Amino acid sequence: MSWLTRLAAQAAVPVYPCIGPGLLAAVEWLFLSPHLRRTATPRAAAILLVAGQIPPRAQAGLDRLHDQLPHPRASLTWDGAGDSTPDLRRLWRELLAGRGDQPDRLPDTPPNEWRGKGDHGQGGKGMMGGVPYGRPMAMTAKDLRDGLELDAYTARFGPFAPMLPPGLEVEITLQGDVITKLTPCAPPFDQGLDASTPSACAARLLHLLGLPLDARRVRTGKRPMGLARLRALPPGLGEVAPDNDARARLTAWLAGREDETHIPPLPDLLTGLEWHEAMLVLNSFTPDALRRACLEEAEA
Amino acid sequence: MTALLILSLPLTLALGAWLAASLDRLAPALWGLPAAGPLTPLREAAALLAQQTIRTERPDRLTLLLAPALYLTLAAVGLSVVPLWPGVAPIESPVGIVIWGSCEALTIIAVFLHGWSPNAPFPLIGAYRYVAIALPVMLPSMFVLIAAALPAGSLSVTAIVASQEPLWNVLRQPMGLPLFLLVGLTLTLRGPFDYADGADIADGTSAEDSGAGRALWQFARLSMLVAFSAMAAAVFLGGPLGPWLPGPVWLWLKTAAVMALTVLLGHAVARTSPSRMLGLLWVVALPLSFLHLAIAGVLAL
Repeated sequence: MSWLTRLAAQAAVPVYPCIGPGLLAAVEWLFLSPHLRRTATPRAAAILLVAGQIPPRAQAGLDRLHDQLPHPRASLTWDGAGDSTPDLRRLWRELLAGRGDQPDRLPDTPPNEWRGKGDHGQGGKGMMGGVPYGRPMAMTAKDLRDGLELDAYTARFGPFAPMLPPGLEVEITLQGDVITKLTPCAPPFDQGLDASTPSACAARLLHLLGLPLDARRVRTGKRPMGLARLRALPPGLGEVAPDNDARARLTAWLAGREDETHIPPLPDLLTGLEWHEAMLVLNSFTPDALRRACLEEAEA
Repeated sequence: MTALLILSLPLTLALGAWLAASLDRLAPALWGLPAAGPLTPLREAAALLAQQTIRTERPDRLTLLLAPALYLTLAAVGLSVVPLWPGVAPIESPVGIVIWGSCEALTIIAVFLHGWSPNAPFPLIGAYRYVAIALPVMLPSMFVLIAAALPAGSLSVTAIVASQEPLWNVLRQPMGLPLFLLVGLTLTLRGPFDYADGADIADGTSAEDSGAGRALWQFARLSMLVAFSAMAAAVFLGGPLGPWLPGPVWLWLKTAAVMALTVLLGHAVARTSPSRMLGLLWVVALPLSFLHLAIAGVLAL
């Protein structure tokens, strides 16, 4: 090992988790370890932690994610039993020593054939729109607020996006960062009730509000210290009943109260919001309630 | 002498970036959480350098390199007009404050290009969102800097430092430093103003960064914090002015203090939604900075 890799071996292991059913709370506890660092993007990780049994519908997403990790990379399957920190650290040292680098799982080819429609064969109009080689392109459409023709971009997010509950897949049309259309494609995985405790939910929301240190404190049962933690949530954001908005729900969680909110269909709730606001709203509900809402919506 | 001073800039940026990264990792101690030592930033940098730098599909190759290079250069140029000794700056310019102001404004371009270049949705959202927020932040910044230049009767940073001989600007213009700290948080993509690289968009403009490319961008961010802190120390805390110790030591101490304050604010203050922040900037921060300039103008008459 060179001096560089020896130094790197002492760093916290950069890990991107893909969380299956029932393991959200366990993974969040795991990342309280100072020896691990949960990365917000697979590009910053060296190890893909596959927690639990990933359902077949999410397998393709998992493989695509795996191939996005920079080399040297590895993946580790964890069933939630025991502490996987020593295994992750060992794997990291092995990678740095030049052993165990994993190749791509998927062929390095476009997911779709070239579509033959449109001036440039991409299935859109002119130089815009369509899905050339399976890559969604922006296309002009009327803005929700003022009818101006702006670029609308449709893409699918999930099932392992770090700002969404694991398993949730949504197709979103964005104009700038405003959500103009949202279609749930798959519900979040069932995480059991320990992922929906007030402290776990409050920690997720505080993390999105740019207070990761407060999130860690709350997760371990301490009071948060950050400034404007409640006022940062715009009043009335994600209101589902009188006096029941995102701010009220965070207040309740921080006071240790469970939340029994009934969630309206996600498209009604999130359409017209900016991406940041929409993510705050989504994370102001428990994963359990979100799952129920998605399942009800699918049945309806 | 000038050549030596200019050569000191990369060293200052490197040491400052390391100090800033160490302060970032010390911050958890204030929250009663385990903190990491000063070697941790070096270990994390080594971990990034040991990994591959991935190129996304059809990136804008020119701006991919240009963005971090520009960010780093702007930090260096901004730092170069800060006097190390009373009356001695690596680059002595009669319009030093204007040079710094242009570095601030061009930072918006650097961050935008960083989000533009990888050809991916999250970085692009981060890029546009940052421009929307950072533009209105630049206006209070200009008012605050002009207010600081009024008592000196000059746009030179060395003259502004000299004008603080009787009284530092932090006391003479009490609203100046708090307003300038908003600028610092924006320029360094931190905490309540980190609309470029936030957690809700998976690290935003950095979402596709890996390996050495990621390390370079993080280094540029920290370097800009060094330059901003040094400028704030010079404009509000008298820069190298102080008894007993040599000027550069005073400047370093004051720079470190501003840096620690910026790091602390970045960790301690929640980030609101972009549209609400826009409202706050235009409706509160901008009129406040104008009032600040008006008061400074009357006092300087």
